Amino acid sequence: MSSQTLSRRREAITGVLFLLPVLVIFVAFKFVPILGAAGMSFTRYRLNGDVTFIGGDNYTRLLADANFWHSVGVTFLYVVLFVPATIVVSLGGAMLLNAVAGSATGIFRALLFIPYLSSFVLAGIIWSWIFRSDGPLNAALGELGPVHFLTGNRLLVLASLAVVSIWKGFGYSMLVFLAGLKAQPAEVYEAALLDGASPRQIFLRITLPLLKPVFFFVLVMETIIGFQVFDTIYVMTGGGPARASFSITYFLYDAGFKFLDFGYAAAIGVALFLIVLVLSILQRRWLEEKETA
Amino acid sequence: MKRPQPGLITLLCIASLFTVAPLIAVVILALSPQDAPTIPLAWPKELTFDNIVRIVRLGSFPRWLLNSFWYSAISVVVILFTSSMAAYALARKRFPGRNVVLWSIVATLMVPVQTTLIPTFVLVARVDGVNTLWGLILPTLANAQAVFLIRQFIRELPDELFDAARVDGAGEWRTFVSIVLPLVRPILATLAIFLFLWHWNDLLWPLVVGQSDAARTLTVGLASLNTETVSTSNLMAAALISFLPCLLIFVVLQRHIVAGIAATGVKG
Repeated sequence: MSSQTLSRRREAITGVLFLLPVLVIFVAFKFVPILGAAGMSFTRYRLNGDVTFIGGDNYTRLLADANFWHSVGVTFLYVVLFVPATIVVSLGGAMLLNAVAGSATGIFRALLFIPYLSSFVLAGIIWSWIFRSDGPLNAALGELGPVHFLTGNRLLVLASLAVVSIWKGFGYSMLVFLAGLKAQPAEVYEAALLDGASPRQIFLRITLPLLKPVFFFVLVMETIIGFQVFDTIYVMTGGGPARASFSITYFLYDAGFKFLDFGYAAAIGVALFLIVLVLSILQRRWLEEKETA
Repeated sequence: MKRPQPGLITLLCIASLFTVAPLIAVVILALSPQDAPTIPLAWPKELTFDNIVRIVRLGSFPRWLLNSFWYSAISVVVILFTSSMAAYALARKRFPGRNVVLWSIVATLMVPVQTTLIPTFVLVARVDGVNTLWGLILPTLANAQAVFLIRQFIRELPDELFDAARVDGAGEWRTFVSIVLPLVRPILATLAIFLFLWHWNDLLWPLVVGQSDAARTLTVGLASLNTETVSTSNLMAAALISFLPCLLIFVVLQRHIVAGIAATGVKG
């Protein structure tokens, strides 16, 4: 055997050995559970090992389950409230930070980012206090209140929960946008200014198109985050009032750990995956269409 | 050169108020005497650490704090070390199936954690891992972001470096430990911060797998305190304690956070 094939083989062996720990972890805790989710969703699954194959029964049951459609509706409404608002807030924050110069940026960047460090549980606790009917926000609203942020109608409750999630999470997307803005070539802006473009034109014709890959990343990421909403609901409303905040993940949690209906809960998890997958594809299509248009 | 504009600065001040005021309220409430009214919010006549002391002495609280620490610390160390090894192999070594493995790992990013929640729980339950620290930690060690980002970073390193190491007679393990690891430190630092934050603040997985105090983390404990009849000032004291490690890391390592988000967002 030539020394070259020998070193090739050695390289391959080293590669596999270095990969091995991660591969074992991924097989055990990602690949197996992903296949497991698909498999379990076709069974009636009890923790004591009592497993019955029931074909597509979980899925037909899911499609006929008013609770499921309710949770889908709640989650979509939440996403519609949360995603555009969080993008506006994070892009706005990024543009503000990008527009001011010097040492002030660092301080403001830190101040705007700080809630991202907290947990949704902490955010939920403090905002529950802020949202109280006799709380500081209602005091600030004065005559307009009291507004029942967490005990009112579905729209109000979901909007209030969205505010908490935006407060807690927008810092990450803001920094992603900021990095995207910083990477834009200054010459293009100078040329546009020379041509007498208005700020509005500059934003729509230059900033946004150049930002598109970043925009897509943030849009998909925030949509996925929106569909997974759970922590704030668990802490702030418990799915209520009258199931106003009964999201898909909350439904999954209930089915799995309250009713111990593991097969059904697995099917809900698969449904969530499919919804997120389809939406990601649609969002990509939508942005590509805008490019060719 | 751009100059600071007063209008923009005012806007930034208002935005900062939105982000910071709730956290300041947490601090004030946590330091207010337990019997002081929490509404309306007022600067208390005297600040007290009683709430903090009371919470720290509360039966299970030290246990939760320690669990959160181990959950975050062990995960960060193991993920970074094993991911670096895999990333080195995926970036620098040719072997059959390399790309299949890489993209299979990256593809798992598309699957929401909730989808695998039930089968992962069943898996851990089958090997008696429920309510144990290792049952909590092990399933979270599969982190595709870490593998992918470190691989991207190693790919950019110059070939000459590895040739030189080979000429000097360094073995693979030596090359990895004394050349690769030190060079990828910037991305490791960034990932360390985020992995710590994600684990420390995680709720859903610790909630289902750590139902007893043996493996209950601080976020789960905090959520349970919220539903119990704990006074607002005590609850806020607990919330404040849970926030301090994250704040400390941020203050010390801010630079890496910004650089890291720039890398994940633009290249990711």
